[in-house]
Amino acid sequence: MLKVKNFRKKYQQHEVLKGIDIEVDKGDVVALLGPSGSGKTTFLRGLAFLTPGDSGHIEFDDQKIDIQTATSEEIKQLRQKMGFVFQNFNLFANKTALENVEEGLVIGRHIPKAQAKQKAQEALKKVGLLDFQNQYPSQLSGGQAQRVGIARAAALNPEIILLDEPTSALDPELVADVLQVIKQLADEGKTMIVVTHEMAFARDVADKVIFMDKGLVVEQNKPIEFFDHPKSPRLKEFLSRISAATVAHNGFEYEKATIIGNKES
Amino acid sequence: MPPFSFKFLVSVFGEVLPYFPVTLLIIVTSTIFSTLLGVLIARGQLSQSSVWRTLSQGYVFVLRSTPPIVLLFLIFYGLPKLLLLTLNININDWQKSIFVVIALSLLFASNLAEVFKSAYLSVDGGQREAALMVGLSEWQAFYRVTLPQTIVVALPNFANTIAALIKDAALAYVIGLVDMMGAGDNLISRNFGHHSLETYLALAIIYWIIFVVVEQGTKYLEKRLGKSRAIASNPVEVTA
Repeated sequence: MLKVKNFRKKYQQHEVLKGIDIEVDKGDVVALLGPSGSGKTTFLRGLAFLTPGDSGHIEFDDQKIDIQTATSEEIKQLRQKMGFVFQNFNLFANKTALENVEEGLVIGRHIPKAQAKQKAQEALKKVGLLDFQNQYPSQLSGGQAQRVGIARAAALNPEIILLDEPTSALDPELVADVLQVIKQLADEGKTMIVVTHEMAFARDVADKVIFMDKGLVVEQNKPIEFFDHPKSPRLKEFLSRISAATVAHNGFEYEKATIIGNKES
Repeated sequence: MPPFSFKFLVSVFGEVLPYFPVTLLIIVTSTIFSTLLGVLIARGQLSQSSVWRTLSQGYVFVLRSTPPIVLLFLIFYGLPKLLLLTLNININDWQKSIFVVIALSLLFASNLAEVFKSAYLSVDGGQREAALMVGLSEWQAFYRVTLPQTIVVALPNFANTIAALIKDAALAYVIGLVDMMGAGDNLISRNFGHHSLETYLALAIIYWIIFVVVEQGTKYLEKRLGKSRAIASNPVEVTA
């Protein structure tokens, strides 16, 4: 469904992405891992042309875009197929939770107001925040804000949702709820690319895990293979470094989430 | 010097208040023009093009470091000469109030540009990106998301700047404009310098009342616009 070829990006002299090739099939959940500075976020933002890449090709279904010559019309068309969930939520501070979700439906997609409201409320209900629909972002906790952010992206029913470290800005005890919502989307068959540091989550939810380092894709595999039998020395080192602290910790958080999820279902 | 006369003080109001419309007109038109120009200059300061940035930054620097009274004289004496020499337009018979409005607009546009610029920058750019991703155009993202928040942030400083404008507008009498201040000045002359205290006290009282109105108006607007949207401090953008 989505094919990226030779994606490159430079900041001045510093080459952040040195030619990324990635393929995502419909219904896939792809987890993008890597140490900070590896270019994961830059790549994800480049896919949505938020910080456009310098060169490369993006193929989305039958739309083919040359990054160097992309027109604003092409970018608009591509973005219509994408939802984006930001690390810092980026909710519209002047709009309520409901209006945040409605905005794209009414203005972006030209859906009639009444129908948009209904869709927005459905989306908020799915993330468990229907009771908070009239709250402003400043009145929401980080976890709630991010769930609204996910509802905002998902309500438009995009073909793919890009999630940029959706839980990194959250207090640890709020991470579980957000991961639960993302898992729910995955279970519904949504195609997603998630940049994340939540190893347990990647292992459990992703169909494919991609490891990036220093602007290159170092290794990609099915999660079990990826975590249990890493091939490249760089990935082995990365996994051994984080395994002790992070996996134990996040594993615990994530287990909590599944328990809450089970109760709800 | 005659003793302080309460009766005279009361009579001053009758003398200067008929000129209140002149003062008000100058304040209102200067506010409008300086706001429009201020928006343009703020836009220039935030522009991608280095030419526009340099020009608008230069403008802000020059105007902010010119005392109001100096600028007023420069415009009053300089502008007619400049226009006559360059464009052969004679504006010597223009009303004095026009020169005052031009001077105040030019001057406060630079202050307002700074107010608008910093307010705009205080709104997190991530919201613009989020708006683009849900299908809004750049312009829609600006006026539906960024602008309403910019206005809320800018309002207190905007009101402060307009307050300074109102006070500086009282300088207009130095080029011979008869506004409230000018009328008061004439009154003192007619009395051969007597009753200056009563005259200025009356003027001060009028300005205090104007400021009560301005302040209450601002408070009302702040409350209305900022209702239920205490804009949360935006977390720092982290890129990994």
